[in-house]
Amino acid sequence: MKEDIIKQLDGYDEIVKEIEISRKYGTDYSLEKGSVEKYINLLHPKAMSLKVQDVFEETLSTKTFRLVATDNYLPPFQAGQYIALSLEIDGIRTSRPYSISSQPNQTGYYDITLRRVENGLVSNYMLDRVRAGDLFESSGPEGNFHFNPIVHDNTIVCLAGGSGITPFMSMIREIVECGLNRTVYLFYGNRSFDDIIFHDELTRISERYDAIHYIPVIENPPESYTGKCGYISAEVIREVIGDVTGKSFFICGPQAMYDFCLPEVEKLGIPRRKMRKEMYGAPNNIWEFQGWPKTVKKDDTFRVTVRGDKSFDAIASEPLLVSLEKNGVMVPSLCRSGECSMCRVKLISGTVFQPPGALVRKSDRQFGYIHSCVSYPLEDLEVLI
Amino acid sequence: MGSYDVVVIGAGNGGLTAAATLARKGAKVLLLERHNVPGGCATSFCRGRFEFEVALHQLSGMGSPEKPGPLRGQMDRLGVTEKLEFIEMSDLYRVVIPGVVDITLRPDWAAIVDELQKHFPDEKEAIVQFYDLVRNLFTEVIGAFYLGDPEVSREKYPLYFKYALRNLQEVLDSIFTDPLLKFVVSPYWSYIGVPPRLMTVVDLAAILYSYCEFKPGHLLGGSQALSNALADEILSNGGEIRFNCAAKKIMVDKGAVMGVVTEDNEEIPAKFVISNASKISTYVDLLDEPMPEDVRMELRQSAVSISAFTLYMGLDCEPEEAGINESTTFICGTTDSDKAAQRLHTIEIGDLDAMLFTCYDAMTPEFSGAGTSQVALVTLKYGEPWLKIPPRHYAREKYRIGEAMLKRAETVFPKIRNHIEEIEVATPLTHLRYLGHPYGAVYGFEQLVRSSNLFVSPRPSIRGLYSAGAWAGYPGFQPTLESGVAAARLLLKELNR
Repeated sequence: MKEDIIKQLDGYDEIVKEIEISRKYGTDYSLEKGSVEKYINLLHPKAMSLKVQDVFEETLSTKTFRLVATDNYLPPFQAGQYIALSLEIDGIRTSRPYSISSQPNQTGYYDITLRRVENGLVSNYMLDRVRAGDLFESSGPEGNFHFNPIVHDNTIVCLAGGSGITPFMSMIREIVECGLNRTVYLFYGNRSFDDIIFHDELTRISERYDAIHYIPVIENPPESYTGKCGYISAEVIREVIGDVTGKSFFICGPQAMYDFCLPEVEKLGIPRRKMRKEMYGAPNNIWEFQGWPKTVKKDDTFRVTVRGDKSFDAIASEPLLVSLEKNGVMVPSLCRSGECSMCRVKLISGTVFQPPGALVRKSDRQFGYIHSCVSYPLEDLEVLI
Repeated sequence: MGSYDVVVIGAGNGGLTAAATLARKGAKVLLLERHNVPGGCATSFCRGRFEFEVALHQLSGMGSPEKPGPLRGQMDRLGVTEKLEFIEMSDLYRVVIPGVVDITLRPDWAAIVDELQKHFPDEKEAIVQFYDLVRNLFTEVIGAFYLGDPEVSREKYPLYFKYALRNLQEVLDSIFTDPLLKFVVSPYWSYIGVPPRLMTVVDLAAILYSYCEFKPGHLLGGSQALSNALADEILSNGGEIRFNCAAKKIMVDKGAVMGVVTEDNEEIPAKFVISNASKISTYVDLLDEPMPEDVRMELRQSAVSISAFTLYMGLDCEPEEAGINESTTFICGTTDSDKAAQRLHTIEIGDLDAMLFTCYDAMTPEFSGAGTSQVALVTLKYGEPWLKIPPRHYAREKYRIGEAMLKRAETVFPKIRNHIEEIEVATPLTHLRYLGHPYGAVYGFEQLVRSSNLFVSPRPSIRGLYSAGAWAGYPGFQPTLESGVAAARLLLKELNR
């Protein structure tokens, strides 16, 4: 509108006076250069530079890596959250999410605890080649697998399998160190007794603190073992905790454990809202999933073309994200389990298999976006990064 | 990759419509977005079996195919309407002060007047007078502004000349007697974050006019569907989008834009930039030379807007089972808007805070999956007090305030707590993180007359540098979507010169 008309509006003079005053005394935002980024970095830095301070051997196949910040600041996190570590191994740039196993009431360091995975690119690298003094880049703390006092009961039942113990270790350490008013029943499943990570510490804590109950469940126990055997079944859980009401359930472990435990938890009559499940990477047996087309074999290869970039062959049973990384195409990733959408790419042509449970937005599905960490090529593809 | 006519910084509503408009007009456009999804505020996130709408509550200006609103026209021209499913809402709002008042209005002038006259029989005429005023006032605004009357005069637009700069409180006080009635007609102030004493009557008129004439609505798939449709339109018209790629610098030489430097230190030459980033970061953080004096003055005469505290809740039941029957409910604690407005400056949530409870499933059961529903419970709060919380206490404070807010909601919806399957708490710091706006502002500059477009020019002070989004005009979905189109048109005039 023309200025001469604005001048005729009732009350114009008062506004002009107000403008004169605020121009004189209003906030000078030019003084706040960089302040937004500074605040964000206190809580949610996009990237952190970490140094391995120490490496501890937990079991024959497990090590804890104590990480410190090269700039001496680690942001706070919630027990159960993870960081995604960036790595370059034999020319392949990739990342892996690891739950922080240390307690959140101190942020002098973060511990991550890794078990060797058969043929695992990263776990073998970490366990065999990483030493104190090595440097890494990582994401800030991420993830939603943590206690939320608004909705969770003060009594939590934790079901852990193998290295799925790590988020619970952080939670339990926080509870005992900070004297939080929470009761924990930790059911911890392992194949053999020697596989148990943190057994001594968990035993000590459970003996010292009445509110922490530690129940190892061993598939192939040694003869001398007197604890629970087999798997974490409804029966085992009920025997220990009795009444299931007023308790929130948390579960973290490998796919095989979910396949067994989730129906067991259902038998107990636990409603969905009382159950939190941590993600645990992409499935390693995708061709056995319901809905996988019979016509595609797990070793079939398809041509993947990245628009404006390169083409390469990708194996059907390997997540597209992994194939991209192996061929030098960088896609940012965090959870690598289909949930966080960081590795979202647009599928221009071809089809992929995405297992149920991949949290893809409805409109992303409509417009052809996929989470490449849990997308498996079923034919030749063209993607837009 | 090649050369670009225009680089658009930020894929919020304004950035998306700007880039889509430019791409459709054949300009070579590159859209940079620091996140992995487009939308800015217009986005969603997934938790368990829920996809939560982040920001959209009542979309204005769409109208129906038979009676199209201004936004529908623009979305049609951008080719996105057909890719979206727009749902018209049949309720305007329910407004509650527990134990004091509980009234539900429909988005229809006559129905509003009828309903209010039932509750306030002593002020029947005043009610008619008020709604006649806001309706006629905004009809004049449309004639003078939107239809671009070349000869605007006091004789033709008497209400506009009288009320354009008047605050809402004065008007409420001059028409109504009962404080409760003043409160019931104006809860939208708490959604704008500026109390009636400071907001203009035109701003309320704009909201009521749009919702009554064109009905409020929402989108299946949420606002993310709109953002994705716009992104798709950009790509299919030859535009490029780079996600996970923030702009670091806007290069300027001799008062003219030369290009953009990305966070990966790539220099992208371009004579035009549309910034959908906050005006403050655009001129303070991105510009590689001191900001022009007129921009400095403009920033000083403006104030950064409010932020928000939100609970996103996924319920394991249909809305009725949780006692939810309306899509939009204002839960308030006092008829005294000044007292309620004081609450905007505190971290705490107590009995006096006004909050907005939105449940799309109440109108559209298929919005969330069968047997579920989702609620967004939002109250506006300034970000500054949140910045003073030590980082190590942040999570604790977030849950403590979230609990206080849920308690308030329970006074109206006592059954919800036992149905919460997923919950996420967003604070002003969450908005700061995802939007990159100072103090977590969600509405650009505060909606005060002195920083409105009557007193701030949209013309660029640096040749080639344009603004889109809430910082360039008005906040809200319709205005920000329109702002991108407007910026692109202004730019195209220069580009084609």
